Amino acid sequence: MRRARLALLLLLVICFTLAVCLQPRLAARDAAGQDSENTLALLLGDGRQMMADRLLGKADAYFHSGKYPSIFEQNAAPEENHMAAAASGHEDHDEDHDEHEALPPAHDWIEAFGRHFIPTKHVHLEGGNEREMLPWLRLSIELDPKEIQTYLTTAYFLGDRLGKWDEAEQLLREGLKANPNSPNLLNALAHAEFESRHDLARARNIWSIALHRWHDVEEPKPEKTETGEGQRNMFLLEEILGGLVKVELAAGHLDKALEYMKILKANAAHPEGVQRQIDALQAKINAGAGQTK
Amino acid sequence: MSKIFAVAGVVIRELYRRKDFYVLFILTVLITLLMASVHFFHDDRIVRFVKEMCLILIWLSALVIAVTTAARQIPMERENRTIFPLLAKPIARWQVLLGKYLGCWLASGAALVVFYVFFAAVSASREHSLPLASYFQALWLHWQMLGIVIALTILGSVALSPAANVTIVFIISLGILFMGKYLNMVAQRMTGPSGTLLSALYFAIPHLEFFDVRILIIHGWTTPIPWADVLLATIYGFAYSAFFLAAACLVFRRKALN
Amino acid sequence: MNAVLRIENLRVEYRSRELKQQTKVAVNGLTLSVQTGEVFGFLGPNGAGKTTTMNVLLGYVNATSGAAFLFDVNTREPIARQRIGYLPELTYYYKFLTVEELLRFYARIFEIPKSETETRIDQLLKLVELEHARKRPIRTYSKGMQQRAGLAQALINNPDLLLLDEPTSGLDPLGRMKVREIIQRLKNEGKTVFFSSHELGEVETICDRVAILHQGELKVEGRVSDLVKEHQCNLEQIFLKVVGYQSQLS
Repeated sequence: MRRARLALLLLLVICFTLAVCLQPRLAARDAAGQDSENTLALLLGDGRQMMADRLLGKADAYFHSGKYPSIFEQNAAPEENHMAAAASGHEDHDEDHDEHEALPPAHDWIEAFGRHFIPTKHVHLEGGNEREMLPWLRLSIELDPKEIQTYLTTAYFLGDRLGKWDEAEQLLREGLKANPNSPNLLNALAHAEFESRHDLARARNIWSIALHRWHDVEEPKPEKTETGEGQRNMFLLEEILGGLVKVELAAGHLDKALEYMKILKANAAHPEGVQRQIDALQAKINAGAGQTK
Repeated sequence: MSKIFAVAGVVIRELYRRKDFYVLFILTVLITLLMASVHFFHDDRIVRFVKEMCLILIWLSALVIAVTTAARQIPMERENRTIFPLLAKPIARWQVLLGKYLGCWLASGAALVVFYVFFAAVSASREHSLPLASYFQALWLHWQMLGIVIALTILGSVALSPAANVTIVFIISLGILFMGKYLNMVAQRMTGPSGTLLSALYFAIPHLEFFDVRILIIHGWTTPIPWADVLLATIYGFAYSAFFLAAACLVFRRKALN
Repeated sequence: MNAVLRIENLRVEYRSRELKQQTKVAVNGLTLSVQTGEVFGFLGPNGAGKTTTMNVLLGYVNATSGAAFLFDVNTREPIARQRIGYLPELTYYYKFLTVEELLRFYARIFEIPKSETETRIDQLLKLVELEHARKRPIRTYSKGMQQRAGLAQALINNPDLLLLDEPTSGLDPLGRMKVREIIQRLKNEGKTVFFSSHELGEVETICDRVAILHQGELKVEGRVSDLVKEHQCNLEQIFLKVVGYQSQLS
């Protein structure tokens, strides 16, 4: 009995000593690793990126009210993430398209019969129902705070679709904390400021910063790559410049707006369209100048 | 039939006198209410996420109740030796098996009703609508699926230990639910005998995914499934249940009890 | 008189992994019959084949060859057990049920009408003195109470043949006396009782006929009084002689 007590006491002393020695090291590691703050991230490790991607897919499935291809069907016919496409303005397919007709013929009676128990119409959430995707988008962000596209998609649905500009702005600021000076997030934040608060000065400032960050981050990249990955994001530049044009027009600074339009034309994918806008604005400026005379 | 119902009655009594169902139900309620209390982006009108979480919990709980209840029936009867005074009565072994199956199935059905009433209450509180026909179809199809799983478990219980049986049935059920409908797709990309085997497996397994209409419920597809399809699925479910039970009767008939 | 229980040339073999697939003959060519109204004692040392014979009568085990009949119905048919009651040595009943629920359950197996069931349950619970505990689950019962519950379930269908496996095992003298009284009462009612026991004194007192099994074979069968007269000793000594026991002291 006495020996057992002594052994226990010795064990206690060893544990206490270990704790005292290790605590400063653990505290230092915790302070250094900001990514470890999130419990989910800590538990899942690198698998969290996969999980985050899966949750983003879940949000896309919700966007389609449950109709979503499985991983096997995706491998057979890769599909665009419609939700993200909608957010980036690339959505260009017919929303009312009945997918039941578009589905390939069933291989067997099992597949044919199974289609009676799943959604078959291709629909997108709208009219405020986009809120149903928010939990999955939020969870995806929690797991992978470095994935900028998720912030952009979420902010788009929060702001442009649901009118929750405060929440959109808060989210984008949160995204900027995790991804400092991201031109994408700055552009989206400026858009939020412009659309919600109509704070022209603030929107102009943020778009200007975004433009500078674009030059810092995107300009060094190659113009074109084979796969498209890692190439210069010219679409983002167009958006930033377009934003600056919008804000200057709203402020009545037509000359400044014209300046930005010319820069935009030099970098646009479809310069002829921009040229038409330049011509219209120039005519407006001239008309205005003629009147004052 | 009265003998089968008598045995079923004992199974039902056992289930509601054990704590399993109550614990799982309370867990489901607590977790669902917790999920419902979380407001994403200050929006308290999000309902589909809550519905999905609730249905996942219901499916898991119902599967646990069904499989664990069915898996222990025959082994516990043998272990506790209650099978001896029972079979000393004028009752055949197949009647005992059918009674056990019926008891487990009815008990699971009763549990499902409670779960789905809770689910309906939660979703109605947020959506302010109650598509009764769709919910009934979901409940009915879920119950049929449990029938197949219970029959498979009863077959396993006459040959395997409860632990092995539960593990195997869970793996098979969840495997079929997640992967069953894609096996043929995968088989077509494979060459040689493995593709043929996988294809044969695809046609042989009970396709439990027919009975999983959670997506329709979660996303508010309020138009009910055609009742003819529900009836066909029910017949399909009964056919597989009957097959597994017949196999179980054949095995149990030859089993020495002592 | 008709034989309510008839065993004809019964042979039961076991083959198991534990025995390394060797065949063990548990019962070898057993033939006996029990007439209506008899109290029949089925005796033998441990491993003699008594339990195996009981298992065949109850349909738990199939005979390798030969047959057993209850009321002229082969024991392989469930209906053969319609008119019997069985009391196992150890009480194994659903612990979560009350004795009332248990009796009601077994009554449904026998397809006894509901009205008759309730009357029978009341009578039996009074007989076995479990009225005060009828609503309590069986897991709260003492061993003696469980044994009495077992007796009640064996009598639920008012059986014409009662199979008892060590009915007084584990009971105190009072309990044993009650069981003997019940057996006597059943005999007076014209019922047949077939029981195995190691309590030879008891068997000698209440049985009309006995059979002694040893190593799967029937060694002795007959009326107790005739056997005692023939061997000029009591039943215990007959038993020891039959099983070949040599006293260390002699």
